[in-house]
Amino acid sequence: MKTIPIIVDCDPGIDDTIALLTAFVSPELDILGITPVCGNQPLGRTVLNALQVCELGGRPDIPVYPGCFRPMLREPIHGQFHGKTGLGNTTLPDPVKTAEEMSAVDFLIEALSLASAKGEPVTLCCLGPMTNLAVALRIKPQIADGIGRVVMMGGAYREPGNRTMTSEFNVLADPHAAHVVFSSGIPIVALALDATHQVMLKPEHVTAFSRVGGRISHALGELMAFWDRNDVARYGSRGGPLHDPLVIAYILAPHLFGTTRARIFVEYESELCMGQTIADWYGKSGLEPNAEIVTRVDAQGVIDFFLDRLSRYAEKVPA
Amino acid sequence: MSVHRIIIDTDPGLDDAAAILMALASPEIEVLGLSVVAGNVPLQDALINACKIVGLSGRTDVPVHGGAAGPLVRDRVLGKYAGIGAFDDRLVPAGQIRPAEENAVRFIVRLAREAARTGDPVTICAIGPMTNIALALVQHPDVARGIGRIVLMGGAFAAMGHRTPWAEFNVYADPHAADVVLRSGVPIVMMPLDVTFKTLFTREHFEAFRRGGAAGQALSNLFTTFDRSDTARFGRPGGPIHDATTIAWLLRPDLFKGEDVHVGVELMGVTMGHTYADFHNKLGRQSNATVITDVDQAGFTKLLIERIGRHGGARSQPMPEA
Repeated sequence: MKTIPIIVDCDPGIDDTIALLTAFVSPELDILGITPVCGNQPLGRTVLNALQVCELGGRPDIPVYPGCFRPMLREPIHGQFHGKTGLGNTTLPDPVKTAEEMSAVDFLIEALSLASAKGEPVTLCCLGPMTNLAVALRIKPQIADGIGRVVMMGGAYREPGNRTMTSEFNVLADPHAAHVVFSSGIPIVALALDATHQVMLKPEHVTAFSRVGGRISHALGELMAFWDRNDVARYGSRGGPLHDPLVIAYILAPHLFGTTRARIFVEYESELCMGQTIADWYGKSGLEPNAEIVTRVDAQGVIDFFLDRLSRYAEKVPA
Repeated sequence: MSVHRIIIDTDPGLDDAAAILMALASPEIEVLGLSVVAGNVPLQDALINACKIVGLSGRTDVPVHGGAAGPLVRDRVLGKYAGIGAFDDRLVPAGQIRPAEENAVRFIVRLAREAARTGDPVTICAIGPMTNIALALVQHPDVARGIGRIVLMGGAFAAMGHRTPWAEFNVYADPHAADVVLRSGVPIVMMPLDVTFKTLFTREHFEAFRRGGAAGQALSNLFTTFDRSDTARFGRPGGPIHDATTIAWLLRPDLFKGEDVHVGVELMGVTMGHTYADFHNKLGRQSNATVITDVDQAGFTKLLIERIGRHGGARSQPMPEA
């Protein structure tokens, strides 16, 4: 089977963890590396969490390259819904595995240059602030040729923001990096709050995941239970939006998603609207579209997709 | 003698050439390498020029690393003299130096982190847009810890601008990078236009450069060919050699006067790239730079000419051990 080479750029994070655990048991994907960045938690913690999640998922073979310790310009901000460690109340064993010596930026430059030379472009899964990719692109713009597309979770177009009135966390945390990526000419699939708020991980789903997850059931149940925003007024139900995992679902099951092509922009100057993402839905900018914005999601189909994938931990020999 | 271990972050550029050759002739300075950035001219031309300049010195132990081809966030702008491009072989002969494999940002990260480990800091002389340095600073906290000081040519206060009415070129070309550097916590010495405009060089000085062997002759060719005098602005003949002030400060800080103040940069709108210095402490913020306000003009001129002259007898000059 021809596999899809991917790099997971992330800031784990509870929803990053669910995305990683799903990717680990998807044989269609060849995970070249994980590049944690400063985001939901400070860098030291996102690196540690990535290592722990690799071991939880039985994939210590995947290299973890530590990324940038701060955003390009702005002071770091961190997530509000991931608990003290970034993994809610879940305590995972100290990892045996260690991070690579090579930095995420150097890894991206090396892996993507190689991908470009071989003519085998990599799919970049961006689940956090996009500092690593932006810095790599500024150092060596030619690596864009080694990227087939960027499938990113971030932004909010018709939906209001989740960290400020206008802005979603990942883009707000490094709007300058988002600007570098959006203006790079690389094809982008944007999974913004417009999409992720369509898929609520409700308490009844959590029960179902806890039943199927085999040897990771306990951790998975704990992580997912912690994710409940308990904010029916905003989300229309209990539960939490399944942000980052949608990136993996989109790559593996695109039929569950509907998209609209548009040019996307990010505000990085105004303090009031810092990090706001704007879509040129009706061609007002005179610029070509640079993104597929996911506008429709088959929510039940996505939940079923994850139930199917994560049930594989029940079948697999424990690590 | 304690030797300054420096990286020259540069976009050559005429006055970059003077600064680099001044450093390479000075035993008080160990040039660890050049990190090249797009600025005065596009990156590829800047890289060719940097290699040619090192070649002129006869040195083969100074690596030249190519860096960022454009600024962090804004659209690319080139220098007023970008048309110069790669130096013509008739002005500056081609040499044997070729760019190193490692990119400039990685070079800075590696040396700075090593310096943070050993406690033997590196100095960066930043004489172009500061994109490479900013890209290095965001990658690891040890990068800032390993850089003892950044001596930068950039900014303008009472002197106003020279690229726009309000902005000096190096800051204007990448204001976001300047902002990262100014807020990095690394001690900064800043040479604004206010001070570089004070020392003007004329044809007699360029003639004097010729005593400096192949290097001095090439430098003389460049400055004679591309006349940068602006009598209307400066009120007298001659043009500045901005970047060489950074090297001069390392060699002879006694030639300069400065003030520790808070400096910031404007990142948007018509005044993008404008720098401000809080000389009268109106903001009550901690100083982040020593802004140089005055220079001993005769002393600086003499020092530059004397150092370039050393290339004439370069082989007999003691060079610091690597």
